[in-house]
Amino acid sequence: MKYETVIGLEVHVEMATKTKLFCACSAQFGAAANENVCPACAGMPGMPAVTNKKAVEFAIAAALVTNSNITPTMSFDKKNYFYPDLPTGYQITQLFAPICRDGWVEIETAEGAKKITLKQIHIEEDAGKLVHDNRIGASLVDFNRASVPLVEIVSNPDFRTAEEVVAYLEELRLLLSFAGISDCKMQEGSMRCDVNISVRKIGDTKLGVRTEIKNMNSLKAISAAIAYESQRHMDALETGEETLVQETRRWDDAVGETLSMREKEAAADYRYFPNPEIMPVEIDADWIEVVRQGLPEPAQDKFVRLTQELGLSEYDSSIITGSKNLSDIFDGALKHFGRPKEVANWIIVELLSIAKGDNKGEGDIEIDCEKLAKVMQLVDDKIINRAMGKKLLGLVWKEGIDPAKYVEENQLGMVSDTSLIDSTIQTVLAEQTKSVNEYKDGNKKAINFLVGQVMKKLAGKGDPNMVNGLLVKYLEDM
Amino acid sequence: MDHYTVFLEDSIMQKDTLVTAGSKMLENFVSPFDATVVKRLSESQFSLAGRVIMDEFGIPSLIFEGNEPLGAVKAVADGTASHALCNDLFGKYRKQATENGCCYIHPTYGTVSRFGLIPLASSMDQIGVVCKNLHDGFALLSQIAGKDPRDGAMFPEESYNYAPTSKNIRIGIPKFVNIETIENFAKNFQTIDIELAHFEAYKQVMYILSCAEISNNISRYDGVKFGHRATSFRGLDDLYIKTRSEGFGADVKLTAIMGTMMLSQKQYAPYYEKAMKIRRLIKESLKFDTYDIIAMPCKISDDPYENLALYALPTLAGLPAVSFAHKGCGIQLIANTKCESALLSAWEVCMA
Repeated sequence: MKYETVIGLEVHVEMATKTKLFCACSAQFGAAANENVCPACAGMPGMPAVTNKKAVEFAIAAALVTNSNITPTMSFDKKNYFYPDLPTGYQITQLFAPICRDGWVEIETAEGAKKITLKQIHIEEDAGKLVHDNRIGASLVDFNRASVPLVEIVSNPDFRTAEEVVAYLEELRLLLSFAGISDCKMQEGSMRCDVNISVRKIGDTKLGVRTEIKNMNSLKAISAAIAYESQRHMDALETGEETLVQETRRWDDAVGETLSMREKEAAADYRYFPNPEIMPVEIDADWIEVVRQGLPEPAQDKFVRLTQELGLSEYDSSIITGSKNLSDIFDGALKHFGRPKEVANWIIVELLSIAKGDNKGEGDIEIDCEKLAKVMQLVDDKIINRAMGKKLLGLVWKEGIDPAKYVEENQLGMVSDTSLIDSTIQTVLAEQTKSVNEYKDGNKKAINFLVGQVMKKLAGKGDPNMVNGLLVKYLEDM
Repeated sequence: MDHYTVFLEDSIMQKDTLVTAGSKMLENFVSPFDATVVKRLSESQFSLAGRVIMDEFGIPSLIFEGNEPLGAVKAVADGTASHALCNDLFGKYRKQATENGCCYIHPTYGTVSRFGLIPLASSMDQIGVVCKNLHDGFALLSQIAGKDPRDGAMFPEESYNYAPTSKNIRIGIPKFVNIETIENFAKNFQTIDIELAHFEAYKQVMYILSCAEISNNISRYDGVKFGHRATSFRGLDDLYIKTRSEGFGADVKLTAIMGTMMLSQKQYAPYYEKAMKIRRLIKESLKFDTYDIIAMPCKISDDPYENLALYALPTLAGLPAVSFAHKGCGIQLIANTKCESALLSAWEVCMA
């Protein structure tokens, strides 16, 4: 190949603070429009900005997990532009003295390990959201997200492939979510990404013309956009039919193309200046140490602990520690049901498949860990069989039932009356002569059908092992 | 005075009250909250008696100064109010107070909460007091000063004691001052001649930085959320342009345009950044170890822009200042950070 693609990323991550960056409004996602809004985050005059200390601490944590140099005295700046989702007409961000610089994140791809270096991380406030209402033919503004604290993680142009970009974003997600800084949900917008991309001849040291693809919020779209955009650059360089210009572009997922947003570019003089209403924040070694001590166990350490101390397979451990949410569910369930391998197995085999049926990924699963543990306990105690356990888990997921109570109320406990099982088997054997004959002709698999029929007549409450054993015995005796 | 009645400049928030900052832009703005100073006054022996009109957002014309005193000065001068609270960035209140038999106290920056003050230039905004005499003025100030968690740029002190100090006060008189103008005042004190570094740049620095910050603070008035909105417009840019063209007066527009230019990529270094550097040098060059107070007249010219040089120091350096008339001459005294007491002492000495 003659060309190489050079990519740098700006990743915006919403921090998981309870309140906004400069006021006491809730920063939680999912409230009704303009529910989490006060005079300050609606941009009314007379509301001086007062910095959320927790947000600064999350940003210090982000600096620590990305091996960055923390700025001893950081300060905030104002970035000016007019847009209806920006209530004050300026965004409070950090340009001159960001929280940290010069970090790095190690990624792993098929090509091996690679260090991605970071230019800086800075704290800034998010903007609101515009919603177009077709009924009244107007745009409406929702300020719930306005002033929610973000960290923007700016990488150097170290990436050469989409695969590296994806590996980096997944690694960042792990680092930040395990440190408790953010839930990093791309589909909810708590992690978003601007992709800076250019193409140059292999061997060239100078970067080519750079374009920026803004506001990407899925790994799939990012890969597709990088593939499209680098091809567009290569074609332009190769054929000369299109002249590349430095510009901002937008990814159209439906069409599978990037489109120019040139009209917005024309007026982009952001008139940055130091924010006079917020005093610079001193971050001394003691404060950093307090944050460091408070950091939760990182994914890598947890992986080692799960494999070495709890005896999980590397496969199971990598799935459990591949998502902060699954990892929390694992810990929560383990507290109530102390057998790690089984807990992992139930989460990976049963819970994930139930969630998948509802189109939920690892990060979106919400389940009462105590109830999950109770289901496992009921199966382990042989009160219900595993199939019933899975059914119960489904009901816990959907309706939040109390498993033990539900089993009792609906008499779902396994049938322990052997004479009932015996008579049911006899009935099935008499009815299903076809399968019986197949079995006798050597098709041993036919027994599965017969077990199923017996279980059905027992309303799923039989012990499958017992039924299987008895069936084999009767069939062999016939 | 038996009973204190306080008027508020129309830039200070009062719950469920029309707060317009003298601008058409906020002609319909009803404040949903009380400023901290309002809350503190309502818990004191001072009663809030009314609101007074002001220059639009507190921006005076720097070309032509009218004869009519500002509302806050007028109310105290004619006895309607015992005090008025306002934000005096450009010195107009300081000057007019001395011309109308009143005093003005500009407290140390960061000692009175700006929560609920419509911001003009955030690094300079400071609520001050128009009063009949400094005893009354400091009595009110002691009620409103002190840390407020809702203003992030304040000193940590919960309250301040403004009792006069007894020691001999050394007065520094800048070289530019024609000593005859304040001779009657100066003879009460031990004085020294002092040099104010970069004095020639005071008004430029003041003008550049205030325009820059004001242009930023008033960008929130865009017709989207509250305040004036143009009745007909096509598209977003038209909404902004019409709303702001209709809502702002000439002096505000001029300030916004100048400030926007000074913060633009090309002009940032030669204007804003340079002015910030000089501002720092101005602060650092003061030698309050050799004098306690800097004294100067309240007027050196009929040109408001020239007079800006006199008012710039307290505003730029965040220093406490008082102005009052003494034997027909308007005097401004400036002390070191949180040294209001020295100002009160000096006033008592020369009024005795």
